[in-house]
Amino acid sequence: MADTSLEIAEAAQQDPEAAIKIKSRGVQVYYADNHAIIDVDVDILDKTVTAFIGPSGCGKSTFLRCLNRMNDTIDVARVEGTITLDGEDIYDPAVDPVQLRAKVGMVFQKPNPFPKSIYDNVAYGPKIHGLARNRAELDEIVERALRRGAIWDEVKDRLHAPGTGLSGGQQQRLCIARAIATEPEVLLMDEPCSALDPIATAQVEDLIDELRQNYSVVIVTHSMQQAARVSQKTAFFHLGNLVEYGDTEQIFTNPRDSRTESYITGRIG
Amino acid sequence: MTDISAGVPPTATTEPKTSLVASDARTRRRNAAEKRFRAYGMVAIGVGLFFLIVLAVSIVRSGLPAFTETVLSVEFTVSEEQFEDAESQILKTAVYEAIFVNALNEQLQAKNLDVAFDAAAIGRLVGKPGATIRTFFRENGDQLGQPVNFDLTAASRVDGYINGRVTRDTLVDSRFLQGSDLDLVDALIEAGIVKERFNWNFLTGTDSGVDNPGGAGIGASVIGSFFMMLVVLVLSLPIGVAASIYLEEFAPKNRFTDLIEVNISNLAAVPSIVFGILGLAVFIQFMHLPQSAPLVGGLVLTLMTLPTIIISTRASLKAVPPSIRDAALGVGASKMQAVFHHVLPLAAPGILTGTIIGLAQALGETAPLLLIGMVGYVAREYPEAFLSGFVEPNSAMPAQIYTWASRADAGFYEKAWGGIIVLLIFLLAMNIIAVLLRRRFERRW
Amino acid sequence: MPVLWILLIVFALAAVGYVLGRQRAVQSVDGDARRLHSLPSCYGTNVALFALIPALTVLVLWLLVQPMIISNSVVSNLPEGAVADDGSLSLVMSDVRRVADGLSLAVSEGEMTQTVATSPGTAFEDVAETLASVGVVLGSSVDTTVLRAAQEYRAMTSTGRVAMAFLVILIAVAGLTFALRMTQGRFRARTMVERVILALLIGAASVAILTTIGIVLSLVFNTVEFFRLYPASEFFFGTTWAPSFSGRGGASDLGVVPLLWGTLYISLIALLVAVPIGLFAAIYLSEYASPSVRGFAKPLLEILAGIPTIVYGLFALLTVGPLLLGVFGNDGVGWMQGGTAVMTAGLVMGIMLIPFVSSLSDDIINAVPQAMRDGSFGLGATKSETIKQVVLPAALPGIVGAILLAASRAIGETMIVVLGAGAAAKLSLNPFEAMTTVTAKIVSQLTGDADFASPEALVAFALGMTLFVITLGLNVIALYVVRKYREQYE
Repeated sequence: MADTSLEIAEAAQQDPEAAIKIKSRGVQVYYADNHAIIDVDVDILDKTVTAFIGPSGCGKSTFLRCLNRMNDTIDVARVEGTITLDGEDIYDPAVDPVQLRAKVGMVFQKPNPFPKSIYDNVAYGPKIHGLARNRAELDEIVERALRRGAIWDEVKDRLHAPGTGLSGGQQQRLCIARAIATEPEVLLMDEPCSALDPIATAQVEDLIDELRQNYSVVIVTHSMQQAARVSQKTAFFHLGNLVEYGDTEQIFTNPRDSRTESYITGRIG
Repeated sequence: MTDISAGVPPTATTEPKTSLVASDARTRRRNAAEKRFRAYGMVAIGVGLFFLIVLAVSIVRSGLPAFTETVLSVEFTVSEEQFEDAESQILKTAVYEAIFVNALNEQLQAKNLDVAFDAAAIGRLVGKPGATIRTFFRENGDQLGQPVNFDLTAASRVDGYINGRVTRDTLVDSRFLQGSDLDLVDALIEAGIVKERFNWNFLTGTDSGVDNPGGAGIGASVIGSFFMMLVVLVLSLPIGVAASIYLEEFAPKNRFTDLIEVNISNLAAVPSIVFGILGLAVFIQFMHLPQSAPLVGGLVLTLMTLPTIIISTRASLKAVPPSIRDAALGVGASKMQAVFHHVLPLAAPGILTGTIIGLAQALGETAPLLLIGMVGYVAREYPEAFLSGFVEPNSAMPAQIYTWASRADAGFYEKAWGGIIVLLIFLLAMNIIAVLLRRRFERRW
Repeated sequence: MPVLWILLIVFALAAVGYVLGRQRAVQSVDGDARRLHSLPSCYGTNVALFALIPALTVLVLWLLVQPMIISNSVVSNLPEGAVADDGSLSLVMSDVRRVADGLSLAVSEGEMTQTVATSPGTAFEDVAETLASVGVVLGSSVDTTVLRAAQEYRAMTSTGRVAMAFLVILIAVAGLTFALRMTQGRFRARTMVERVILALLIGAASVAILTTIGIVLSLVFNTVEFFRLYPASEFFFGTTWAPSFSGRGGASDLGVVPLLWGTLYISLIALLVAVPIGLFAAIYLSEYASPSVRGFAKPLLEILAGIPTIVYGLFALLTVGPLLLGVFGNDGVGWMQGGTAVMTAGLVMGIMLIPFVSSLSDDIINAVPQAMRDGSFGLGATKSETIKQVVLPAALPGIVGAILLAASRAIGETMIVVLGAGAAAKLSLNPFEAMTTVTAKIVSQLTGDADFASPEALVAFALGMTLFVITLGLNVIALYVVRKYREQYE
């Protein structure tokens, strides 16, 4: 329990715009011999939706996975540079990636509910992190998460049906609810709508907007329209470089870099 | 769950924010559980490998003595007069034996080793040396008067004494070996007369009957196994490949092909002893094929191996990409031509590998051979000719090992372990060939 | 005429047919092969197939049917009273066959003239000595009746052989001529050949069905025969197994319960050894091990699966048995009386099954999509939590299937129990006692010198049937479960 983190948390409460949640400096990622991320510096703000855009293979998903050390599960991946969460280096050897991931939750490209009931899917995170002292508390956490995931009304009558039986959009919202249930501080979303139809996409986008009230959300997306719709900050990646980072409006209306302009006008990508 | 009211406060977690670096008690507990779980896995692997090592060590340690034999190597001279004299006697071999005993005595005394022994003790140690010596000189008259070196094979219990299988404590005096004989053996060892040499007879010889473990060889049963494998190869490869081609390339989806599929997957899991019952009932009782014949063994093993070969052949056919078939059909080949001219040659290495592995499995199979009479039969002779090798009764390697293992004389156990080494060398060779084939011809599409 | 010669002649005819068919096809279009419907070689192959296939089919059928017809006819010609009952019938017939073979051998070695061998006036006593001189020693049960039957048997066999040779060659020639007459330019030889080949392929695929039918028939017939001699209820519910030896004197108790108990007890111990070790090994190999450890440990473990069961049997009998006896025997704890015991066989069988369980589970665990693991890691679960709470529950049906398959292996395993478990059928709870199993008794009842028609031998078929039904049931359930599981992720 370090004092600094408390101060930062308090600062964030006072002035949401100014609070920097995640700060990365000189981040490099290598897959075996392949230099996938080159020297990325970025500050991700609290209670803000940040979008990572760029052509496929530009490294935006790779960088996203660095933020909660999901790259640890890939044997050949190597990360250099510093990434701090509330001022603490997340690649410090003393940091347990398990604790980190409890704070930095993740939602994946394809909905991946566990082959368990809807209730057990959501209760899984709180159970392993010991967030509930008894059954009633767990029930409460599950309900809260499902409500915040904007799926409560659709599943409240069949909480014990398998999560795999839901439709694609419902599954993805279930996965978001599952991620919220562990009370993370940051929520990473890796192209959360790419496997969904337009209606489900709109529902998830609405949800992301609501989540901004409580969390810092980072979303990787292929769709520039989506980035423009949901994010306040946008980072444009190209060939492993962070080309431009700024307010979403500025990026889309007045890009400073010619590559960004080429991309948003459809000439590269 | 449903009765909880909707008025849950939307406040976030009540717990204060925690540092990433300081791990709490719960995390420590979880990480300890993680380490424990990982350790279970390592222990499981360790236990598995430990069993493998124990198995390997006990095979090698118990089996290697089967490849050596103990001989009494004695050099002595028989003069022409002695030969004439012996040939004029009624008990000719007894005279030669006396000459041998004298020679042995002299050599022992020359080294100041004084042990009393009689011809009976010699008989227990090396059988009847007189006959061997007489035969030698009758055939090689020109060697008379010159020193000749005789290597006389020692009895299996003497062998056991030297290998540590028989000890003074466990030895029970019998007509095979007595406690007093061991003093003689010790003296002979000290005199350098007892020697170990490679037991070629074990590899080339035939089974010897229930009371002569020393003379038992595995050669005849290797030939029996060879003929069986020939039958398996000749039948299961064409039938297996044909069946796989049909199922993979031509079979329409209907009840009949479903039936075949279900049959194949079930046959692959039918206990091997049931195939033995099939062989006994159909091939021996119904068709009156000869018992203990490699032909019958081969037929039974063919039926057992077919599912394995079909499964692996189908996998190899499946691995050939459809674009190859399309290309052949595109230039106007018939479906049959596309399969036989293009798909089959491309799948051939995989099919061959699968077949060798199937054969290796069949080579080690024992249970069905018990029922078709390959175990009761004592394989004393090699088959006379190539064709009769299929129908003459014979044993097979695993059956021979079982026969030895179930005999009362512990001397045979050593032979059984030795037989296992021979069998495993064959299996190893076949598997290495299969691996090399796969490495050499494996193609990634 | 020996079968080999017939085969050679038929194949020679086919080769001639190939050349003729090819020539005729080319001639029919005046040497311009482009005007043929198919390649010239197809016409040749067509003729060759027509010569071969019908002739070979007849040959095989004849070889199968002839001994049965001849045996029946010889039996029906035996004088009344020569055969006491069904059991001795098979003995008499085997004598007849031995004498007949002996006569042929004697004639071929010049010890006997053909006239003596076939003449109905030949007295048995004259023949017996000659037969003995060529190595055919006859028992006391052989007399003149058998000699007559043997002569008849020989006569019919040789007539049959000659008839078969004629018929087979005739059919080959007929097929050849028929196919040659079809051969002309517009004949679709390739289609014909391909149809025949397809039929051959289907035939090969049907061998699997024939094998199953063969297994079922050989089990069912003999089992029915057994239940005619021994009441089924006593077989299924009898709690003692005490066959009387060599089928003489005293009634046998042939209750299957103690054998099933031994089988299940040994299988249970084997699974208790194999399932935890195999499962944890699979988990470690697929989830934790680095590629180099995996590349080294996995093939080593799989060696255990490639070792023949006779090796494990010997290992149980000569290594593990004495080892256990040293610890639990009278020198140690005193629970064990001999090296062969349920524990010995179960332990060794467990070792044998480790790679079976581990490689099946490995496949199944690997079939669980990576997305499941990512989802769990993304929530901050540790690896073991992910495995225990996400991967294993998802893989559970598949693992249950794998365990059922392992159980069916254990129940059907023969060599380990024959050598390691003992021979006494007992209903006991002590795992250090010797017990016996269904498979071990199948072997001992069929390899003894019991008469095949006695209940003591026939019971082996009933045991085989029991074993077949149990393992088949387990396999069907297991394969069904595994397939359902696979479909879930496809």
